[in-house]
Amino acid sequence: MRTLKKEYLLHLMLIPGVIVTLIYAYGPMAGLVMAFQQFEPLSGFFKSKFVGLDNFRYVFQLPDFGQVLWNTVIISVIKMVLFLIVPLVLALLLNEVTKQWFSRIIQSAVFLPFFLSWTVLGGIIIELFSLNGAVNGLLTNIGFKPIMFMLDNQWFRGIIIGSDVWKGMGYNMIVMLAVIIGINSTLYEAAEIDGAGRWKQMVHITLPSMAPILILLAVLSLGSILNAGFEQILIMYNPTVYEGADVIDTFVYRLGMFSQQFGPAAAVGLFKSVISLVLVSSTYYAAYKYNGYRIF
Amino acid sequence: MKRIKPWKMILLVTMVLSVFTACSNQGDDASNATSSTNGEATDNLAPPDPLGKYPKLVTVTEVLGYNAPEDSRTPKGIKPEENAYFKDLKEMMNIEVKYKWTVPSSQYDQKFALAMASGDLPDILELDPKNFEKLKSQDMLADLTDAYKQYGSPVLKEYMESDDGFAMKTFESEGKQLAIPSFEDPFLSAQLLWIRKDWLDNLNLQAPKTMDELEKVAEAFVKNDPDQNGKDDTYGIAAQKSLFFWGFDLRGFFNGFGAYPSMGDAQSAWIKDTEGKLIPGLIQPEVKNALGKLQSWYQNGILDKEFALKDENKSVEDITAGKVGISYGEWWYPNWPLNLNMDKDPKANWIAVQIPGMEGPGKTLVSKIRIGKLFAVNKKSKNPEAAIKLINFYIEMGKKQYRDKNQSANGYVYNWFNPRITDPAQIDTIYTEVNKALEAKQQEITLDDGNYKDTADVFKATTDYLAGDTSNASKGVNWGQYFSRAAKDGGWGMTRQLKENKAFVNNEFYGIPTASQVDKGTQLDKLMQESFTKIIMGAPLDEFDKFVASWKSLGGDQITQEVNEWYTKEAK
Amino acid sequence: MRHKQSISRKLFIVFNTLLLAGITILSIIPFIHLLSISLSSNTAASAGEVRLWPVGFTFDAYVYLGEKVEFFRSLWVSVKRVVLGTIVNLFLVFITAYPLSKTNDRFKFRTLYVWFFAITMFFGGGLIPTYIVVKNTGLIDSILSLILPGALNVWNMVLLLNFFRSIPKELDEAATIDGAGHWTILWKIYLPVSLPSIATIGLFTIVGHWNAWFDGILYLNSPDKYPLQTYLSTLIMSMNAQMSSISIEQIKAMENLSEKTLKTAQIFMGALPIMIVYPFLQKYFVKGIIVGSVKE
Repeated sequence: MRTLKKEYLLHLMLIPGVIVTLIYAYGPMAGLVMAFQQFEPLSGFFKSKFVGLDNFRYVFQLPDFGQVLWNTVIISVIKMVLFLIVPLVLALLLNEVTKQWFSRIIQSAVFLPFFLSWTVLGGIIIELFSLNGAVNGLLTNIGFKPIMFMLDNQWFRGIIIGSDVWKGMGYNMIVMLAVIIGINSTLYEAAEIDGAGRWKQMVHITLPSMAPILILLAVLSLGSILNAGFEQILIMYNPTVYEGADVIDTFVYRLGMFSQQFGPAAAVGLFKSVISLVLVSSTYYAAYKYNGYRIF
Repeated sequence: MKRIKPWKMILLVTMVLSVFTACSNQGDDASNATSSTNGEATDNLAPPDPLGKYPKLVTVTEVLGYNAPEDSRTPKGIKPEENAYFKDLKEMMNIEVKYKWTVPSSQYDQKFALAMASGDLPDILELDPKNFEKLKSQDMLADLTDAYKQYGSPVLKEYMESDDGFAMKTFESEGKQLAIPSFEDPFLSAQLLWIRKDWLDNLNLQAPKTMDELEKVAEAFVKNDPDQNGKDDTYGIAAQKSLFFWGFDLRGFFNGFGAYPSMGDAQSAWIKDTEGKLIPGLIQPEVKNALGKLQSWYQNGILDKEFALKDENKSVEDITAGKVGISYGEWWYPNWPLNLNMDKDPKANWIAVQIPGMEGPGKTLVSKIRIGKLFAVNKKSKNPEAAIKLINFYIEMGKKQYRDKNQSANGYVYNWFNPRITDPAQIDTIYTEVNKALEAKQQEITLDDGNYKDTADVFKATTDYLAGDTSNASKGVNWGQYFSRAAKDGGWGMTRQLKENKAFVNNEFYGIPTASQVDKGTQLDKLMQESFTKIIMGAPLDEFDKFVASWKSLGGDQITQEVNEWYTKEAK
Repeated sequence: MRHKQSISRKLFIVFNTLLLAGITILSIIPFIHLLSISLSSNTAASAGEVRLWPVGFTFDAYVYLGEKVEFFRSLWVSVKRVVLGTIVNLFLVFITAYPLSKTNDRFKFRTLYVWFFAITMFFGGGLIPTYIVVKNTGLIDSILSLILPGALNVWNMVLLLNFFRSIPKELDEAATIDGAGHWTILWKIYLPVSLPSIATIGLFTIVGHWNAWFDGILYLNSPDKYPLQTYLSTLIMSMNAQMSSISIEQIKAMENLSEKTLKTAQIFMGALPIMIVYPFLQKYFVKGIIVGSVKE
């Protein structure tokens, strides 16, 4: 009885969130029927013709779909890994900075590129890596031949990945810093009395304390395995690197340019959702089963 | 436990219901609106007078995709609904325009699709041919036949008949006129070759007439320091990643080889073969020859090594910075971006020549019809004729008597006013009127019709430029107006010549995209861009034959068939 | 913490400082580039000659910016949006994360609720259905349309939920024995100890609201209601690439677009206010809060 009363309050606290989510997140999901329709805005969801799995078939049979899917996965997996490692290393290094003012300046600076849109940054990056750009200037100065970075499939992928990590690393870094700050400092004091150096403290205290958040970030990032960064690639790519950098989202975007093809776009969206849900929930249960850890 | 479950259920059910009713609302909307229109449609009718005033205030709804006001003298922070045209409109005709929404023009398509999906369309519709086709098939457009006949002003009718009613006819269905098109002279998109005259002079060269001469000039522009700054910092011909585009592209170059690949709309162009059938220009052998030449030009530096990552903005930068002195482009180049180069480098001087061909000037590709947008009326609208009256009003406001009032500084923002139809032959009118006034040494132009304002603006810029007066605008801006529209050897002047000399080939297909074009177009375009760019950058030229085979099998053959079906049905 | 430092430690500190300083510079470069363009002459800027130092130094762009009614109008909208939106978001995230951070034996329906929310991270209805729901809830053309649909950010909620879990159980239990209910525990105990994490999430929320631009285009019906980023996006949006021909009017618009310095000045000024927020929030990133309150 006592617990029931207490749980009642917990339910009550959830009401506002549930309402908002029901209306604005579940409400629009009715629109997923578009994936099975030859959707026509003028006719709406009720009068548009149902075409079964035609939209899926149409997209999957397109000649480049395999290549595009592969590009998407490879780019996003590398981004995913780097988005965990780079901010982690940054946060750990920052944690070793003893001067507060220096640490704060770095934190602010690293977060800055996050505020600029790809429309603005894309141009700057293309310029940086062009033949007359700063990077090639540096290369020729130290005796290398200039490289056409943006017209080479391998280099281009690297630049796409690198620049995205550079732009977004501040975000995860701040999450990780917040965790590091929250670690009970008596642990460090005890370790220091035991004679553990900074390295050992990091390995035995900092990293284990961060494990939950690292698992969380890793699992959730799996949800975006089919998002390789639409806006960025759209702004930076060119015909010579379609082969290595055309991804699902840019592909669908171009599909929609001739005439707004809502059906195929919705089909791809649904496909992506299902894949991420499967990946995330299976890793969720794996983490729970082998580690006893619940992510949500 | 048990107390909680019921309310949760209730909550869930109401939520889900509200969502469903939300989605089905639109259907009801439509039927309500139609029933209410019939009741009062008649009591507000004015006698058929194109510029007459309604006895009672008539309100029409519109939506607007807008660009920023063009003139810097426009009052700061003015909003579309504050456009000064509306005040006159109310006085003159007792019509009030209400915007359902306004949005930057780059987002118009998006927003319009949402409006269609939520069943919330305004009375007066600004459409592209695709949306027109959709609305037509759903029977949502009002019949404008009578409204146009009764209310269309003589000037409007004159405009519409200037092409023998060809454009109007395109938007007629079963004897009903469903839209009024805003069309322009198709030659506005004919390409010329723009070239730095001061560079030619520096190197003692003549303007090129043939492809071989062009090659020599371009080579000299790469190697012989045409800007005489002692640095190796120039390349030959402007190109960018889209080979066929609306500017800074290579359509004109291909045309010089007798190749007609595309108008720049990511589709093949269609030309007539000897048997009177339409064939895709994109896969003809002439295209291969042109690509071969581009390949060698890429090799020897006439094309920028990194043209494939440039977009139009980058090309504009190169032209402005004086890195390149040759570019294929339309009549409007002086207007932008050549004027920027003129302002940056006082020595810069650009001229236009007809595109070089194999044995002399080549023929440029021109579309049959050039439709920007069209205006239609929602079937639910109570006053379809109001749309026609609005068009009359705008044309009227261009006349001389309103000139003093109708100024940007007074809050008149012409490019926010819709429906706006201009004289399809306006550019030609400007050209002839300004030249007439110049030759007669007049202080003012004599014309007084809807073209007055635009013509007077060009005349003012021209006289300012010729007198070296930069008090109103920079030298480059004045020159841009003059050299694009009025100069005999300028943009439009040269375009008129190629029109008169019949130095053009028509793109014969002008229908809406066929089913396969919609389905396969994206794939084919990607295939083309990839293959062509790779060939130019050094892949074997025979890749082109592979491209042709893939293009055909991936849907090209089907499109060819559909286009020819359209041709036999529509165009004859 | 002050021990004598070994040589390797000193070396590490030097290396660390240099590395982080390098990263800082790399992150600031685009801003310096933008600032330089905005302080250059328009001809130099439109010829693409400006790198990291102004060419033809002038304050003209900023003088013009001072007269830009649109800029300041939308800046004010943005401020309203950020303040209102952040309050709503933080409140919802806070009261939603709390019940869900309980263990399953203390809150039976936890898992059900969690998945109810988590699903929305993967599935969405797309543009049109969302628009229809927003329209039918009467939010079109109101600032609420920018706040309510995303009022509960599930990602932030999961993050906070995980932070909550790291709060020692003893705190909870001690309070329950003292007779405190959930409401009291939430505000009196959880709030003070989780300030660093709330500051983190607050930062993400503020940044999210500040950076969002597309919803403004979708849901607002006139440009004078646009928040700053929506307004800025209208400046840098390039023309529709699929145009087959360019109309006379568009050419005139292109001419206007060449006011590159003014555009850049607005982009730069648009990022400034938000840059100030982070250093301000940093004061909540203080070590040892949790430990302190346990000791009380």
